[in-house]
Amino acid sequence: MIRDQRREWVAAYLLILPFVLIYGVLFLWPTVQMVYLSFTDAPLIGPGKWIGIENYVEMFDDRRFWTSVRNTSYFVALTVIPNTLIGLAIAMMVSRLKGWQQSVILAMFFLPYILPVSVVYRIWNWMFDLQFGIMQYPLTWIFGKATPVFRTQWMFMPAVALVTIWWTCGFNILLFLSGLRSISTDIYEAAALDNASRWTIFRRITWPLIWPVTALVLTIQLILQLKIFDQVYLFVQGGRPDPSMVLVQYIYNSAFQKNEGGYAATISVALFVIVIVVSVLQFQFLRARGEK
Amino acid sequence: MSDIVLKEVSKSFGAVSVLDKVSMHIQSGEFIVFLGPSGCGKSTLLRMIAGLEDVTEGEIHLGGRRVDQLPPNERGVAMVFQNYALYPHMTVRDNMSFGLQNVGTPKPEIIRRVDDAARMLEITQLLERKPAQLSGGQRQRVAIGRAIVRDPKAFLLDEPLSNLDAGLRVRTRLELAQLHNRIRATMIFVTHDQTEAMTLATRIVVMNNRRIEQIGTPMEIYSRPATRFVAGFVGSPAMSFLPVTAVSDVGGKAAFSFAGQTPVTTSVPFAGLPTSSLTFGIRAEAALVDPNGAIEGVADVVERLGERSLIYTRLADGSTLVAEDNGVSTVQAGDPVRIAIDGNAAMVFDDAGKAYHAAA
Repeated sequence: MIRDQRREWVAAYLLILPFVLIYGVLFLWPTVQMVYLSFTDAPLIGPGKWIGIENYVEMFDDRRFWTSVRNTSYFVALTVIPNTLIGLAIAMMVSRLKGWQQSVILAMFFLPYILPVSVVYRIWNWMFDLQFGIMQYPLTWIFGKATPVFRTQWMFMPAVALVTIWWTCGFNILLFLSGLRSISTDIYEAAALDNASRWTIFRRITWPLIWPVTALVLTIQLILQLKIFDQVYLFVQGGRPDPSMVLVQYIYNSAFQKNEGGYAATISVALFVIVIVVSVLQFQFLRARGEK
Repeated sequence: MSDIVLKEVSKSFGAVSVLDKVSMHIQSGEFIVFLGPSGCGKSTLLRMIAGLEDVTEGEIHLGGRRVDQLPPNERGVAMVFQNYALYPHMTVRDNMSFGLQNVGTPKPEIIRRVDDAARMLEITQLLERKPAQLSGGQRQRVAIGRAIVRDPKAFLLDEPLSNLDAGLRVRTRLELAQLHNRIRATMIFVTHDQTEAMTLATRIVVMNNRRIEQIGTPMEIYSRPATRFVAGFVGSPAMSFLPVTAVSDVGGKAAFSFAGQTPVTTSVPFAGLPTSSLTFGIRAEAALVDPNGAIEGVADVVERLGERSLIYTRLADGSTLVAEDNGVSTVQAGDPVRIAIDGNAAMVFDDAGKAYHAAA
């Protein structure tokens, strides 16, 4: 069919215009403003004086900044790969179920994902409660006494990571399950005739064929967990926030509690760069693996 | 020795029965074709021999050993799937090596066997490619190659030609026949295509509606079908069926009358024949257009196939008789025609579908 070229272009621009407008106003412009702000001594509200790279110099010397980088990295290490592997393992188990059993079990695993973070916080705060928490039974058995998990520094991050995995795993299970379903049953039947053991089938068939989904889940997880804030912020309430400070929390802390808009913007730029660099690196790495 | 014996094998999925007491004995080295319409249970039967479906009742023996409770890998059979089921992320060589690697075959041995099979199937130049880079016919060869390298007791092929285009299908059919001649392995081939069945099989198993209708050589199936279903399913054009109004005894042979026609004498023995509810069956090549023929009717459609013409003739009782004429037939649609029936090739069926033939 021959179409009027000019009208095609007009229609195309009209269709993408709303998105471009919203993207520009709500994302691009604020981003540019944030970068500008990072070179000023602006408070939370109102303009500031241009001070060049002073904020950046300060940031590289800031112990609390480096603590929050370390904590964020630690949290990423505790969640991203475990969450992905657990999601795959559960998806493989769920995929063996049939019909309504599969739906029920899947719904149960997915349920936590629909909860708001404040509810998740209440649930787990109760579970770990020093006097009444059900988790104190195993903890007492292990440590010999009741343990305030969210007030014990070395336990804090692993505990928040555990809660995060419980909370967000359902979505990964869903992604993996659809990936597993797209592998033809014929291939598994051929492998069964080819004498493949269960482990061989996983290692040489399922894992390589599910790899694109794994790469996707890893990337989504990485970006998501680098931006960790809510869980850490909520669980640390009533305690000392500094030792477990993560990057977004430090941004919030600088901007809204210390009224240092310029400095908060500087850390935001740093986080922005970290997210871009890490996810590009990871994407390249995952793609290289996939092409092997 | 790799005889395959099925003893009263039944299969049901829940309350739905898909195979009912199927028995057969397949000799080592035979090329057996399971032929039947879709849903007759032929693929399920093949999958049960492979071990991909369990057996609800009955026994399967392979090479003298009962295998119906064994997992697929312990049965020593190889299967070629309808859509090939190649491992998409592995090269052709890896696809073919996978089964051997899993049983711990030494590496040089694997390479030798894969190379041999690749040479036989002329896919040597494709060994380092992945399935996505192959055409349908090439994938087909790889799937067969994957089966060959394992040197199985039996090859099970589930409609392996149905995804190929017409030309390639004929060529691959020929190559499969050559391959069978060369390696002399037991092969079971599932299809709904009667041409594939007729050309490839040493024996055909015609299946319909959960049961075996007939087991026989292609020519037995064609010229002496055991049931009306087999008669109608095999052969192109399909056999013509005419309702019989009366049977008479002409010196021990049966003569059949049709509404508004001269009776036709056949070689079917009169003794033992039911006298009512009979259907007369005749193939087109035994019903020739002939001005002195016993049957008269009006040509409905004339199909000119080059070497012969098919005349679809409407008879007085409304039934259709497909008759044959030579390629340069002058019959036009609408012309009255007379047709001579070869009584030696005629057969009749009772109301249960059982066939009665001329004495063999």
